Amino acid sequence: MGSIEETVNFDQLLGAPHPEMEINCKEIPRINSVGVKAWIKYFQSCQAKGSKIRFVECSTAIVEQINLISNFTCGGTVESIFVPFSCSGCKSELAGLFKTEDLKKIQLKLPDLKCSKCGSKAVFDDLPEEYFGFLMR
Amino acid sequence: MSKTLLLISRRSEDQAFAAEVALTAGLEFTQVQDSKSGADLVSQSAADIIFVDVSSPELYASFEQAVQETVGLFSDKVNANSIHFLTFDDLEKAQYLVQSPLFGHFIMRNYSDPKEAGQHYGRIVKASLAEKAFGLAQLLKPNSKIQVIKLSVSSQKHNAVEAVKAYLLAAKFQSRMATVVANAVDELLMNAIFDAPVDDLGRQILSTIPRSTVQTLEGKNAVEMHVGFDGQYVAISAINFYGSLDKAKLLSHISKIYVKEEYKVRTSTAGAGIGLATVFRSGGSFFFISESGSRTEVIVFFKRTDNFREFKDQFRFISTQFYF
Repeated sequence: MGSIEETVNFDQLLGAPHPEMEINCKEIPRINSVGVKAWIKYFQSCQAKGSKIRFVECSTAIVEQINLISNFTCGGTVESIFVPFSCSGCKSELAGLFKTEDLKKIQLKLPDLKCSKCGSKAVFDDLPEEYFGFLMR
Repeated sequence: MSKTLLLISRRSEDQAFAAEVALTAGLEFTQVQDSKSGADLVSQSAADIIFVDVSSPELYASFEQAVQETVGLFSDKVNANSIHFLTFDDLEKAQYLVQSPLFGHFIMRNYSDPKEAGQHYGRIVKASLAEKAFGLAQLLKPNSKIQVIKLSVSSQKHNAVEAVKAYLLAAKFQSRMATVVANAVDELLMNAIFDAPVDDLGRQILSTIPRSTVQTLEGKNAVEMHVGFDGQYVAISAINFYGSLDKAKLLSHISKIYVKEEYKVRTSTAGAGIGLATVFRSGGSFFFISESGSRTEVIVFFKRTDNFREFKDQFRFISTQFYF
């Protein structure tokens, strides 16, 4: 999908609302404020038409917006998110995909990951109360 | 006669921070424990810079009352440009400050290293005491390289934002940090292009047109972006030549978040009204400098850190400097 900015046209990109919509957000590295406005306008119209919306593989940029704006998902469900990790050895940025249901089950106690580059331990790299804020609402 | 920095606070971390600010800015440092003593000092000889602990509505009220009872809120001896509020909370939790007639500068007290934060902020204070605070060079460590990019058409914004991101990646910022900074630049440029232009009566000219509209950026509509990095902090400014920044509007936008209440899509304006608040919550600091009718510079600062957690939780401030 790419960055969501003022040039994005959701009607063209995603078409008319469907009864069931799965939105894969993996490839959204960045969204600016006008992109947020366009996003909410589009998905609110979907919500108004009764669409059941599921957001999957949400990038960190999308998770940040879900946390910042209470109605960002417009009644949709967030099924899975990328969780940022940082390698304690080589400092590489890593991301693990987690189902939100599983995150709740483990009470947000994340397992340490093994860095795919150097094999060192990788730890969660954000503020838990902020990154997982939407799961605690 | 040397200029002075007066600290009104009982907190040792404020003392360490403010003393370093004073040292960096070349100011004489004085500390008192309460607002009454501070206001008395100000009434005897105006302090050039005042740092005051306003961590609670009560502390703020006592400061405002002390100022009112000694020199008066609108006295020449106290000027919002010289007052720096110190708190623990983010601005949205400190609405009592947003509404204050004394609001000039806001500092969130997560100093981490008070000395290092004091040196960084000391450069802001020093600039604020100069004849004009404009220009990145005085806000970064000496000899920092500053790059100037002049946009000639609004559609160049995307490339300018991506160029900043690439520059930061080359400067060893994590990808996620670079993305956050790029988004901040995007918001600053969008505001400079579409929100700054006003007519002779101060009414916004372009606020309702879609942000995807291509605008020529020449003459009064020119927009510049300056980028500097001193090895620790990156500073990026968006500059326009209207000098139309409205402090009350600015503070209401920057302190407004939608974590609890719903964001309502307004069709009366093309902007979203959430850009600056998002930047501040992502770890960015702001310095807004505006000379009425002439020039506005909005500068955002981010510190490069080892990990994103520290990046997001870094020392932060919102400074304003208005010239009329």
